[in-house]
Formats: sequence, C-alpha cells, structure tokens
Amino acid sequence: MSSAIGVDVGGTKIAAGVVDSSGLILESLKVPTPAQDPDLIVQTIADLARQLGASDSVERVGVCVAGFVDRSRSGVLFSPNLSWRGVRLREQLQEALGGEVVIENDANAAAWGEFRFGGGKEADDLLAVTVGTGVGGGLVLAGELLRGGFGVAAEIGHLGLVPGGELCGCGNRGCLEAYGSGTALVRATRFAAHKDPVAAKRLIERASGDIAAIDGPMITEQAQLGDEFAKTQLAELGAWLGLGIANIAAVVDPSLVLIGGGVSQAGELLLQPIRDSYLKALSASRHRPILDVKVAELGNDAGLVGVADLARNSIGE
Amino acid sequence: MSQRNAIGVDIGGTKILAATVDETGSVLEQIAVATPHSVELVQAAVVQSVRTLLTRHEAHDLGVAAAGLVDHHTGRVRFAPHISWRDEPIRDNLAHALRGDGITSVTLENDANAALCAEWRFGAARGRDHVLLVTVGTGIGGALMSSGQIMRGTNGMAGEFGHMQYAPDGRPCQCGLRGCWEQYASGRALSMQMQSGGELLTGQAILRAANDGDPEAQRAFFMVGQALGLGLADLIAALDPELILIGGGVSMAGELLLGPTRSAMSTRLVGGRHRRVADLDVVALGPAAGAIGAAELARGGAPSL
Repeated sequence: MSSAIGVDVGGTKIAAGVVDSSGLILESLKVPTPAQDPDLIVQTIADLARQLGASDSVERVGVCVAGFVDRSRSGVLFSPNLSWRGVRLREQLQEALGGEVVIENDANAAAWGEFRFGGGKEADDLLAVTVGTGVGGGLVLAGELLRGGFGVAAEIGHLGLVPGGELCGCGNRGCLEAYGSGTALVRATRFAAHKDPVAAKRLIERASGDIAAIDGPMITEQAQLGDEFAKTQLAELGAWLGLGIANIAAVVDPSLVLIGGGVSQAGELLLQPIRDSYLKALSASRHRPILDVKVAELGNDAGLVGVADLARNSIGE
Repeated sequence: MSQRNAIGVDIGGTKILAATVDETGSVLEQIAVATPHSVELVQAAVVQSVRTLLTRHEAHDLGVAAAGLVDHHTGRVRFAPHISWRDEPIRDNLAHALRGDGITSVTLENDANAALCAEWRFGAARGRDHVLLVTVGTGIGGALMSSGQIMRGTNGMAGEFGHMQYAPDGRPCQCGLRGCWEQYASGRALSMQMQSGGELLTGQAILRAANDGDPEAQRAFFMVGQALGLGLADLIAALDPELILIGGGVSMAGELLLGPTRSAMSTRLVGGRHRRVADLDVVALGPAAGAIGAAELARGGAPSL
C-alpha cells in the first residue's frame, strides 16, 4: 500500500519521515526548528517533505504541530512555542508542494499513531498523555479522533486540579500541567532536595552537587537504582496524573491510558502511582471495569507516524 | 398517514415518567409516578405505566432512560446511586414482562444520553454536532455528543461529569469520594450554601427568595454558578464542544445562575483569546426530555452509535 510523509513540528526540532501503511518509518530526517521565524518554519517543513519525495513519489503529507489547530484542520490558531498566530499552514504548504496536506495537533496525532500502530491497537476508546515540558493529551473515542467543535479538544494539561494553585504557563492557576509535567517534576524535586538534602543526597551527587542541575533523566535513573527520594518524586508526579486521568475517565470512560514522553521511561515507578491515584479518585470504582495504564509504544515517533496515517486516510474523503 | 409512536420511560431517583411520543417528539400522553424503593417495585411500576399508555396509543418500541451507570450493550444498570440496582438486567426483564403486550423492542440508555438525543433531534441542540449536556439537579449528570454521535465510552459510562474531582479532599460525596464537582455546583450545593438555620431549603424556594431580592439566596446562586463555570472550563479543555446545554431543575434560574457561570468559565479557560468558545444555553425540552429521547432512541431515529 501507499506510503505517506509525516512531519512533526516541535518547539526545538522538526522531524519528518516516510511512513508505510503498516506504520513503519522507511526514511527520516530531523532539523532544528527555526522557532523565531514563522515563515522559515513553513519553508523548512516544505523542504523536508520535498527531500522525502513529496510532490514527486509520495503524494500524501501530514504535518502535526504543538499548538491549537482549527476545526477545518487548515490553520494553526495559536502555538506558544512556534510564534505562530493564525497561520494558514495547509494553504501555504499545499502551494509549496502542489498536493494535499493534512494538519493536526501533535498530541492528537500521537494518540492516533498509538491507536493505529502502537499500544492502543486493541482499544476503541483511549487517552494518550504526553508528559514532557507540558502535559499533552489526545483522545480516541469510538475509533475516531476527538477534535471537538472548534478543533482544540483533549487539552488535558489544563484541567484545573487545584483551585488557586500553582501558576501555569497558560496564565491560569492549578492546571494539571503545573503539577504533572516533566517540568513540574524537576521543579518539585529541586525544592524537595533543598528541603531535605540528606534524603536527596545521592540525587544531588548525581547532579555533581548542584541541586539546580537536577534534571528529569537523573530523577528517573536514580529511582531505577532504588533511591527512595527519587521514587517518591515520581510517585507524587504519578498521583497528580492519576487524578487528572480519573477526571477524564468520569467524562469519557476510556478503556486505556497510554503514557508517553520522557518521564514514561520510568515505567512502573510512574505507572503504579498513577493507577493507585486514579482508583482513589474514580467514582463508583467498585462498580465499573478499571482502565489499563500502560507506557506508549511509539515513543517520539508517535506524532509523525500518526499524522502520516491521517494524511493517507483523509485524502479522497 | 400512520405515525409511528414509541414509549419512553425516564426512571429518576424521585419519579418515573412514562410518555407516548410521536415522531415529531411531541408527547401524546404521559404518566408520572413516585419511584418506589425496591428493585421489584420499580420494575412493576414501569410495566404498569407502559400498559396504561398502551391502552390509548399503539406502540411497539420501548425506550427506558435510567439514572446511573448504564451498560447500553448488555442492557443492564450496573450501578444507580439513588435506586438499589446493582448490575440489574433491566432491559431483558422489561422485554420479558411486556412481550405479551405488543412491545417488540426495548432499549436502555442513561437518562442524560437520552435527554441529549431529544435536544439534538427536537430541542436546543438541533443542527449542532459537538454538544455537551450538563444536567444540574440534585447532583450533576451529563452526556456528550461528538460529530453527531453520542459518546458512551468503553463501558457506557461516559458523561459522569458530577464526579470529576473539583476540590481535592473537599466535601464528601454520596459516591464515597470527596471533592466531587456536584458537591459544589448542584441543587444540593445550592441548599448547603443556604444552610444557616439547619434546615435545607429546596432549589425552588431559594430561587424564589433570590428573585425577591434576598442577598443570601442571590449569593448562593453566585457561588454555585461560579463553581459550575470552573468545572465547565475543564470540560471545555477536555472536549471542546461547540454548545453546552444546561438542564436540570437548577437551570430554571436562567441568567441568575448562568451569569456567574459564564464569567467564571471564561476566566478559567485555557488559550481563551485564541479559540472560539462554546455557546452556553439552557435546554429547550424540560423535564420530559429523557422520556422523549428514550422513545426516539427506541424508534431508531436518534444517533445510537
């Protein structure tokens, strides 16, 4: 069957690849994102697609971006990390490439990739959570991507968990993202290390004695070595994520939650606290089946693979 | 011209409403009885109501809407907070009991899903495809529609909006948890706001007082409206509907409730300046919406997934 090109435009890098109909990446390219220059980003996407054979041997191109994509999947309403405001991305790329282009939000594309080819192949209703700088979400319900009325559904990072809580990058207080992201994990861990440097001794040593240098991978690696302090930090992160997931479960009742992003490499050290917290916050938990929480399978490629598949399926719709 | 009527029954915590509904969504006749306490008596009351309706109008399709965690596929109510149903095979029981009365099909649906079907087909959600119904009564129920389809979730339990965790370790909820949204934004929450002398006032009494200028009653609506708006912002973040319909008894307060709801919702909304935001409106069909929707689902006219 036919291949398609998927492009994942992130805040720091743009990844592009040719993806076959079984979700396999046949060829891929990666370049830094010229984040300060909105026009150059568009040009870079077009160049990558062309290098991979767009407008030549591969007809179908899908592009996913970190930002709000409008309901018609033609423009980017808002992307905090790409300095895009109201960019008519599909039109510009179609002009440059001379063919159909599909645009999607990156977390949605990742959820779709996992649903089609990754950890969600067996599920009809799933939530994919990407835990990174922020907390991204994508929902597949009844086998369809949930885009919402205006295209910006599944922003689960901005569920308000704590009234008057921590300030979030979005300007509100108490969002899940302010407690359950990789950024929040690092911040909370540094605070905890300041508060109890004895308990945090080994983690601080790993950061060469500099608490401010503690990062996410250090916390995960230290926890995997059995360090109780690091394990506690991951458990607290998991507790917040579980609470947010319970709210989504009350609202849409999925059978599966997939956790992606760098922190998901902690595996069960993160997943078990998520499950515990989810169960504790789930209404009528003794009277309903309990969803699975698993690590996402496609890693950083999920968005690219997912959006290529969306491009392949949407043309001719 | 033969119209195809269907019977819809809405089994609520306090009353059972049974109605014969025609294809335009008009209620030809309805019967309401108080909800009995035992499982057997509830079923008997439904059977009796349907038989009475069948003496006046012919119908073969029965739709039943029930409050609780309904498994649409198996026709069972897994759990109902206000009636002691635990994994009860309602659909098959009723089909068996009413077979001799000419009822050939029985459909079971969550009450809020049924009400949303009715609003989508005949009411305030006509022409809209991405809709949330949030029913604010004693507690909070709800339903969601995406691309013109009711979303039930894997276990048929989607739409339990009232049990989103609104305040960690907050007020205890009947469901056994603490801090559920419905403890802050429902009719019960309204009564609790007014609890000065120990006696709980009804929503209607508080509404009357607020309309008469009672500042405490007005404040109660403000507090509840604000909590409603903050929770709705979460639902918008998760689902991004184009329309949110507020139903249930408390929605009768109209702008007294929705004014504070709107302002709290918009202050809490993520990316507010860069997105279109759902319209907020009240339902059009009133208390019979569940029965009308159940009848429409039974007839196969509403989106049934």
